[in-house]
Amino acid sequence: MAVDRKFIGKEYGPMTYEVCKEKIKEYARAIKNEDPHYLDEEFATRSKYGGIIAPPTFAVIYSGQLAMPFFMDPELNLDFAMLVHGEQEFEFYDIVRPGDVITTQGKIANIENKEKVDVISLDAYSRNQEGKLVCKAVYTFVIRKS
Amino acid sequence: MSLKDIKAGDSFKAAEEVDKYRTIYYAGASGDFNPIHIDPEFGKMVGLGGVILHGLCTLGFVAKAITDWCGDPGSLKRLKCRFAKPVHIGDTVSTEAMVSTVENGLAMLDIKVTNQLGEEVLTMTSASVSLE
Repeated sequence: MAVDRKFIGKEYGPMTYEVCKEKIKEYARAIKNEDPHYLDEEFATRSKYGGIIAPPTFAVIYSGQLAMPFFMDPELNLDFAMLVHGEQEFEFYDIVRPGDVITTQGKIANIENKEKVDVISLDAYSRNQEGKLVCKAVYTFVIRKS
Repeated sequence: MSLKDIKAGDSFKAAEEVDKYRTIYYAGASGDFNPIHIDPEFGKMVGLGGVILHGLCTLGFVAKAITDWCGDPGSLKRLKCRFAKPVHIGDTVSTEAMVSTVENGLAMLDIKVTNQLGEEVLTMTSASVSLE
């Protein structure tokens, strides 16, 4: 069954995430990124950032929290078995550091009903504890019609 | 290399091999335990021929290629892609990028991401890097 376009604009969150150094290191190693900005305390302290920072795509960790309420939304009733991650877009506005508390608010930006698939995109806006936008992520999913 | 030296036409390449346990590491770090990424039997059953790498891990490799090239993780301002083809264990993901334009202190990158057979695993991949 097609995903109803009336859900365009539906919001998810806010959800908060407290960034910690060990998670940054775990994530960086998982994507095979040994950049000392993320892993090496001494290097990072001497860098222009003055300490460990998160890789840009660490955004998937804090903003990806929205996946659960979005995927599990009973009203939206997505056919999870038919769903694939179609596209991804990030806009990075500020550095994320250990200790930051990131709050992410999501909104269904668009739903397209095509012949064989539905395409649904979720905008996720993440702000730090100072209210500053650090990342806008757009997650686009494709759901094959059964 | 200094960021201010970057100009249109500059290019770079990088490659990552998807080792046997990569999807397990990424599942643990990201919390995405979808069985298509961690259970080879399930992957075969749904016609994927085994487990496939998380698309966002592939995109993470691309981000690394860019930030290794420019030297400053904070200079990556935008990154986007379409997930076109599954990446499997043992594949080599290659990123080839070229600076298409430099305008208002931003370098725009056109990026090609392929597997070892030359097939594009990501399409419509682009990024912008701040040179300031």
